Amino acid sequence: MRLPKSWLQDYVDFNVTDEEFIERMMWRGFELEGVEKELKDVSGVITGKILSMEKHPNADKLSVCQVDLGDKQAQILTNAKNVFVGAIVPVAYAGARIGNHDFTVANIRGVESQGMFCSGEEFNLSDVEYPGAEVDGILILREDTPLGIPIEEAIDRNDVIFDFSVLPNRPDCNSIIGLVREAAAALGQKMKTPIIPHIEGEGDVNDLVKVTVENGDLCPRYTGRAAVDLKIGPSPAWMQRRLKEMGMRPISNIVDITNYVLVEYGHPTHAFDLACIRDGHIIVRNAQEGEKVVTLDKKERVMDKDMLLISDPQGGVGVAGVMGGLNSEITEETKAVFFESAAFKASNIRRTARKLRHVTDAAARFIKGVEPVNAYLALERCIELVSELHAGRIVGGTVDVCAADLADREIHVDVDHVNRILNTNLSGEKMAELLATIEVPAKADGNDLHVSIPHFRTDIESGIEADADIAEEVGRIYGFDNIPAVLMNGDTFQGCLAREFQAEDKVKDVLVACGCLEMYNYNFTGPSALKALAFAADDERNHAVKLLNPFGEDQSLMRTTLYMGMLDSAARNIRRKTGYGRFMEVGNVHFDLGGDRLPREEKKVGLIFFGEQESFYTLKGVVETLLNRLGIQGARYVKNDVACFQPGRRADVLVDGRKLGELGQVHPDVLGAWDVPGPLYMAELSFADILALAVDTPAFQPLPRFPVVSRDLAIVVPEGSESAHWIELIETAPVDVIVEKGRLFDVYRGPAVGLGKKSLAITFNLRAEDHTLTDEEIKKAFETIIRVLGENGAPLRQ
Amino acid sequence: MENDLQRIREEAQKRLAAMQEECDLVALQQQLFGKAGELTAILRTMGKLSKEERAQLGANVNKLKQELEAAMEARRAEFKKKAQELRFEREALDVTEAGVSPIPMGHLHPMTQTYRTIRDALVGMGFQVFDGPEIELDDNNFTLLNLPLDHPARDMQDTFYINDKLMPGRVFRVDEVDASHSPVFMQIEGFVVDKNLNLANLKGTLDTFIRAVFGENVKTRLRPSYFPFTEPSAELDMSCTICGGKGCRVCKGTGWIEILGCGMTNPHELENCGLDPKEWSAFAFGVGVDRVTSLKYGISDIRYEYENDARFLTQF
Repeated sequence: MRLPKSWLQDYVDFNVTDEEFIERMMWRGFELEGVEKELKDVSGVITGKILSMEKHPNADKLSVCQVDLGDKQAQILTNAKNVFVGAIVPVAYAGARIGNHDFTVANIRGVESQGMFCSGEEFNLSDVEYPGAEVDGILILREDTPLGIPIEEAIDRNDVIFDFSVLPNRPDCNSIIGLVREAAAALGQKMKTPIIPHIEGEGDVNDLVKVTVENGDLCPRYTGRAAVDLKIGPSPAWMQRRLKEMGMRPISNIVDITNYVLVEYGHPTHAFDLACIRDGHIIVRNAQEGEKVVTLDKKERVMDKDMLLISDPQGGVGVAGVMGGLNSEITEETKAVFFESAAFKASNIRRTARKLRHVTDAAARFIKGVEPVNAYLALERCIELVSELHAGRIVGGTVDVCAADLADREIHVDVDHVNRILNTNLSGEKMAELLATIEVPAKADGNDLHVSIPHFRTDIESGIEADADIAEEVGRIYGFDNIPAVLMNGDTFQGCLAREFQAEDKVKDVLVACGCLEMYNYNFTGPSALKALAFAADDERNHAVKLLNPFGEDQSLMRTTLYMGMLDSAARNIRRKTGYGRFMEVGNVHFDLGGDRLPREEKKVGLIFFGEQESFYTLKGVVETLLNRLGIQGARYVKNDVACFQPGRRADVLVDGRKLGELGQVHPDVLGAWDVPGPLYMAELSFADILALAVDTPAFQPLPRFPVVSRDLAIVVPEGSESAHWIELIETAPVDVIVEKGRLFDVYRGPAVGLGKKSLAITFNLRAEDHTLTDEEIKKAFETIIRVLGENGAPLRQ
Repeated sequence: MENDLQRIREEAQKRLAAMQEECDLVALQQQLFGKAGELTAILRTMGKLSKEERAQLGANVNKLKQELEAAMEARRAEFKKKAQELRFEREALDVTEAGVSPIPMGHLHPMTQTYRTIRDALVGMGFQVFDGPEIELDDNNFTLLNLPLDHPARDMQDTFYINDKLMPGRVFRVDEVDASHSPVFMQIEGFVVDKNLNLANLKGTLDTFIRAVFGENVKTRLRPSYFPFTEPSAELDMSCTICGGKGCRVCKGTGWIEILGCGMTNPHELENCGLDPKEWSAFAFGVGVDRVTSLKYGISDIRYEYENDARFLTQF
């Protein structure tokens, strides 16, 4: 909310520096959004007197002027026809700035110009505000204007405008009156509260207008008064200036009055041309489905039955709370005006404005919340201004259709409880004193603080929140800064991290130790990305949760796997040539369970590897390391048919026969969809399964007391067979010693082993629990193993 | 005999002094003590001597032997030392040459690092950690937190909805992505409930917490604000970590940076949980991990935090 300093000074003495004022407002909950000079787009423009004018030697239309700038003289070229020797004018002397334009010394056809003269338009001035300001040419200043002074001073546009953010619970402060009420308290003064006189007028508005409110729920109060014999014209200089300071454009006296009251009292009013209200009957009702109104901005608005319409017997004359109708607009010919000042229900106006995509200033106020007492004050203020501006003759009487309770609410507050909330020790009397500074009357009676909530404080509740609400007010005025910082005391709890958090940390730490960079990808994805992954029809990853209001199609689903986001980020790294190709992510995915059920949320651990050094086996190595470090034993890798991976290079990770996750080389079609060159390798594991299987505290295994013997062998096996199968045969061969740690260390293909075959070189360990193996035992075991392999079709390589 | 011994001594000493290589020591050893060695030869003559003379000569020869052996040992040590010095010289390195990188370690995302810092600070103060669902019922997300049905935050403009009843909540907001806004963000919410908690406790807790995350020298201030879930509500500012409070671009010249929203839990919520607000009290605060990360590391654009560019991630 903008607050011009000069306007504030109508009600209080501004007796501190701007900085001090801003700081005090901050402590009261009003954060500064900005400070502006009144002429915020103008700097360095000063007044100067034209001493002489000569024709430009090389340009017919230009004059060369010598100008007295007070402490210096300047040469300025101009093509303006209204300037003359002796005229005092605004000079944008070199170094000045207007809007985005910086003035410098220029050479125009061989003659130097040290700046330019300015027009009234450049200072947003009207004739009403400064005589001659709208002339076609340069602004001629009053003859008594001192030379060399800033233009802001010369035309009295020297104000400062504070802009404070107003919290949503304080709609009353979206008005000058409301904000000044707080500012006065912040300055330690009593606000000179304006009293709006009731102007009796002649006749009775009720003879001219009849108002029927059909929906009192959406319109708790509708008030109106009228003025006749209007003289439509510009509003006076002071009003124009203030409207401009508030960022509004002056239009005409009657319209300006409603805008002025809007900012002054924070309540939107509307001026109807009374002659255009057919039958003099205003009906506040729900619109019919599809009913049309053309609003002041000349746009046709299609209403629905939930929207509130201001109509006469023949149709709409305005969209309640949003914008008036074009058919009843104030024009230069308007002779009689009916001011409407009503309270409409915030949520209804919000929905209407959103549906019509038209959140006007008025609608914004209704949405933030207005109250019925202020509606009447705003109406009376409009009438007062019509009278003050001599804009017309006031009609007596008031239309007031009111379903709202207008009485101030009385509450009882527990003084002790307020002190307990704030950790203060204030008496009820002291609290009453503090509340009085913001015009909330209160009276202490022992531990009971009797507060009567003024109409404008809609935020203070009467129910169980009352103590807390008053505590906030008392605390705010007393000063949060005066409340000490005290650590809690009482029964202590052991702070702790549940196992799931510890496990997640460990997963990430192991993966980082394995060289992975951690990613965070968005949870949103789109149908095309999901489709590109080509999951089988029965794969639950097809059941993505759909957003009702996504940013766009490609962000309309919640991800069911980390793959899409990881692929996006991988593609980004490849395009940008970041030189890194090992990433992991731990994040949630969601599955739509259909119907009204909450989606199932699952945490996944994802890996994506790419680049020259990476292969299916580097990825698998990291998966193995991860499981190993978490104490998960016995993982088996079994070929699967998940379609986002390349056939033959994809596997499920099984533990105890259960799928813990999967890994593979990304299918070329998927690479195509992400427009990246391969190969890429991805894995995804279920965090819940990891958590279930992880061993937090491994049991100590005694170290082998007797030496271990290592043996290698090379066997020839069919090409399609898997090494794990042969290693298993070795480790389970019927021998009397322990055979363990079988590992493939070389694969050979070539003429020596024949087509369709491969040679596997496998190493393994032999040992016994209770003695050192004898050569005889080793020989016997080795021979048995070779025999078993041979019997199963894997002869030793010759 | 004595003369022979003296001659051997002098000659040996001369040769030792002139000796250039360690292998010459072996030759000298042979020459003196070998089977055909000079001292061995002298000892062989002992048979002809009287018992007394024999004892005398034996003693003298032994003395000379020990003396020469010690001298040779000393010379050997000198050779060893010299050889080692030469080796060191030969093997000297250019210590300014780049080191060989270990197996490349990865990096935790800066948000995770910040998250852990925050979490550990809170756990150290006795908080327990819970994880809420990312998709939450409208009732849990709004109604029970004192956001009535027509509160603007419940609007389709601000919240992602998946059907009439459900919405993804904890870390989502309808917000176009720009330098300081993201539709997804990581939020840590703190909540304490007890009898006799007050605003001073909230201040004390947050001040301790913020200093644990940003350093002991950071100052905090609590100023009034508004949230539907708290009454009184406040915002916590901390002294600008960039300029230390003098005023800079990051703190917009104020010396303070808004870091989190907080307040005494609204009595309606306590009532919704079956607690009598006259008897029970609670406070709550919410801090954006993304925002703290940006401030802590001076990251100018929040979008970096979700781009996963390796050149970004490897900085932390």
